[in-house]
Amino acid sequence: MQHRRGFWLFVGTALLIMAAYNLTPFFWMISSSFKTDIEVTSYPATLLPQAFTTAAYARIWDQEGFVLYFINSIKVSGGTAVLSAAVGIFAAYGFSRFRFQGRTALMAMLLITQMLPGVLLVGPYFKMLSLVDLYDTHLGLILAQTSITLPFTVWMLKGYIDTIPVEIDQAAMMDGATRFQSLIHCVFPNVLPGLVATTVFSFLLAWGDLLWALCLITTPEKQTMTLGITNLVGQFRVLWSDIMAATVIGCAIPAVFYLMLQRYLITGVAGAAVKG
Amino acid sequence: MIGERWTAYWFVLPGTVLLAAILGFPAIASILESFGLQGGAGPAGGYAALLSDAQFLTASFNTALFVVCVVTLHIILGLAVALLLNSQIRHLWFFRVVAILPWTVPDVIGGLIFRFMLDPLSGGVNALAIRLQLMQQPYDWLGDPDWAMVSVIMAETWRGYPYPMLILLAGLQAIPKEQYEAAAIDGAGAWATFTNVTLPSLMPMILIAVVLDVIWQCRLFGMIYGMTNGGPGDATQNLSLFVYRQYFQFFETSYAASAAVVLAAVLLAVAVPYIRATLREKD
Amino acid sequence: MIGRLKTYAKLGTALLFTAAMSVSQQAFAEQVTITYSDWQLAQEGWGKSLRTAIGEFEAKNPGIKVVTEPVQLGQRDVRFTTAIRAGRGPDVFALDANPVRQYISEGWVLGLSRFAEAQDSAFFDDFYDTSLAPVTVDGTVYGVPMNTVAMGLVYNRKKFEAAGLSGPATSWAEFSAHADALTDAGAGQWATTLVLAPAGFDLRVPSIFHSFGASFLTSDWSASALDTPEMKAAFTYVVDLIKSGAVPPGVTQVDANGARRLLANGQIAMTIGTTWTIPEVSTMNPNLDGWNVLRIAALPTDGGRKISPHTTLYQKSLFINANTKHPEAAWALVNFLTERAQMERWFDDNNMLSSRRSVNETYGPIQESPFASVVSQEIQHGTFLPLIPEWPRILDTFRQNLQDAVTGTKTADQALADAHRETNAILKASGN
Repeated sequence: MQHRRGFWLFVGTALLIMAAYNLTPFFWMISSSFKTDIEVTSYPATLLPQAFTTAAYARIWDQEGFVLYFINSIKVSGGTAVLSAAVGIFAAYGFSRFRFQGRTALMAMLLITQMLPGVLLVGPYFKMLSLVDLYDTHLGLILAQTSITLPFTVWMLKGYIDTIPVEIDQAAMMDGATRFQSLIHCVFPNVLPGLVATTVFSFLLAWGDLLWALCLITTPEKQTMTLGITNLVGQFRVLWSDIMAATVIGCAIPAVFYLMLQRYLITGVAGAAVKG
Repeated sequence: MIGERWTAYWFVLPGTVLLAAILGFPAIASILESFGLQGGAGPAGGYAALLSDAQFLTASFNTALFVVCVVTLHIILGLAVALLLNSQIRHLWFFRVVAILPWTVPDVIGGLIFRFMLDPLSGGVNALAIRLQLMQQPYDWLGDPDWAMVSVIMAETWRGYPYPMLILLAGLQAIPKEQYEAAAIDGAGAWATFTNVTLPSLMPMILIAVVLDVIWQCRLFGMIYGMTNGGPGDATQNLSLFVYRQYFQFFETSYAASAAVVLAAVLLAVAVPYIRATLREKD
Repeated sequence: MIGRLKTYAKLGTALLFTAAMSVSQQAFAEQVTITYSDWQLAQEGWGKSLRTAIGEFEAKNPGIKVVTEPVQLGQRDVRFTTAIRAGRGPDVFALDANPVRQYISEGWVLGLSRFAEAQDSAFFDDFYDTSLAPVTVDGTVYGVPMNTVAMGLVYNRKKFEAAGLSGPATSWAEFSAHADALTDAGAGQWATTLVLAPAGFDLRVPSIFHSFGASFLTSDWSASALDTPEMKAAFTYVVDLIKSGAVPPGVTQVDANGARRLLANGQIAMTIGTTWTIPEVSTMNPNLDGWNVLRIAALPTDGGRKISPHTTLYQKSLFINANTKHPEAAWALVNFLTERAQMERWFDDNNMLSSRRSVNETYGPIQESPFASVVSQEIQHGTFLPLIPEWPRILDTFRQNLQDAVTGTKTADQALADAHRETNAILKASGN
């Protein structure tokens, strides 16, 4: 498709406005993370640090055990993302490609499970984990997060699989492929953009969770990043520069993951369909 | 294909079983709790009390207002940015990453940061506005009931719009290029291509994005908890926060469960037509 | 014969083996691990003192290992209640006075009278009666009080001198006059601030109402007392004080931390606080020279009259989880942390008064401290907020109505009337 120069100018400007909108709070975060404790709460507020200091990053790095929290968060979020994508794609394929008894009811049930707030569910879930001795473990936390991400994952993936022409799997099955093989070889490559979207979704959901991690994890060394950051809002002091510094790093990690994944967002259906 | 009937169940079984195993017991326990069957105010006492609880009614209204505004803004912004990111502009990877950044901020932390930005004295918003001479005196945004609500909506719009955006961007990728080429051959302009090709093909994903986002925003807790904690007064208290306070601060577990079940029931009533529409076959 | 010997030998070995096993098992049983959770563990200074104390405890009791679990104050009850309901939770934990009655009425904490009596029949005699009240139900003591302090007015001497004021106000009318003299909003200077956010509201703002001679509930805690003239006067005073501009903008979001920060940055001249305010504010801004510049005074009262109680008490007490498997070890820890020697160190480290009369009345540094001497006098004029399970809900209803009056959503009269009505509804619903 050929576009005129005006079109590109418009798209470029619009994208720059979007970037400015998205980055403004980050500007404030980064600027505050380099201020001293006193400057960060001074009035009138300064837009850029007057006395530039990296003390907050140093504190986050050595004192507070944040390196460990980041690793824990990557583990829990990664585990949640992988588990819900792996289980979700099968279920989504089933819901998209088959018409079976109870299909609509099951699909609806998936969403209904998400209508009760976590506040109520966390108590009984804790009891269950306690019975099987999984409480205070990352696995217990991953399972809890998966119960939230899985229904969303299935719905999203089903939407994407619906857009892939059924003829593609049928052609493969004519050639003797099983359902499973056709899912792996024909549907999977085409649904990659959707899979990226759902993986990012699951990862970020687990990344930002507070309630479940707060209730299920008691050992400080197993804490997640979000819990660690909220602990900086102490009884006696709110360490704003530390909060900002930890958040900046906390946002950079998923951003890097996403940077690696984003090129799969452009694996379009059309290209693969030609091959099929 | 005789085996096909059962193949379907094999595909959906692992997910369903996993969910039932994790959520089954907690869900049943909460519903029993809501009827006061685990001790408490006696059967259904909580439900009757809810109707005369001014806080509950305010929280319901706030939730409805919040969800309608936020989801509308999310879909509009999300669609616009998804369309922009679907172009083949140079340095696209940069914009793609930037577009997702707000969503990487955990919601409680996002609330804290916005509270800090809107702080009348040490916050950046007032500092900038005064520097640009838009106002003379620092304004207390979160201390004004109406502005507090607007601020919470703006903050969640910012943080949450990458979610529908990503759903829609992936959806755009699935529209076959042939359709655009056909439209181009017919001499359709940009707007005509958008309304005749893009929008209809994207509709199923837009519906899904709306349903999922509505559920998501109804459950929203961290952003409001971190930013205003429901204040000033109960001006920004939503149902999630109401349930949280009843459950963990006031130890009214049965009452909290009743409120949550009411929220779930309302959500269900709103969501079912959408779920049906989404699942309706094209043929 | 030989075969027989062999049998004996085998038997002997088996016996020895069993004996060795049981000895080692016993040794294993003697080494117990208990968990201790306290929101103050999550705080730099306090956490250090606690960990030092626990280290000493472990050295003294080689059979007991203590694992510490820091938790943030605002998240404490979320974590504790979830775990305890499921039959888990830390063996020993700390609570302030607010949620104690819920924990007791839910059966989540052990009665401690039997441990105390086994140790010393006069164990609780050294504690203030006031301090034992919140942790005692029907004659059983459920927690050991650790620190008790009363709220006072923390003020910046330099700011008072600069404004030509000799000292803090003794009446609220005088306080308003001081507020005018101390405020210069254009220069970023205000007289004071009030804590209207949930974190810290409970201790600070209710003190003002107490010092007007008002109570929240009737003396038996069965009905609202928000319709008394004293309460109306106090409520109107607070709303008017805020509207007069004596507090910086953003007062509805100010929590205890925010108030201390404003004091540390020199933006306000006084705030309601207590002994801990001094070290905390001094650490926030070392340039302020808080230990020399800040002082504590008794709160003003209505018309400067002698009103008692006229302030609110804070208390931290230690409790043993009813789910614990090692109650004896847990008691040993509770006992150790609240001992006289520990309490003295607690003052040295954190400027905090003990719940033990003997410590506050005889420990030299406490007698000499310009802060502790005032606050320990004030303890006898202090009262705890109502000790009923409905209280957190009532307090929050009150707080929200006060905020509504401050933001102008309701008039002061209407807000107070609403709070009165809602309080009675809450008490009625729970069948009191």
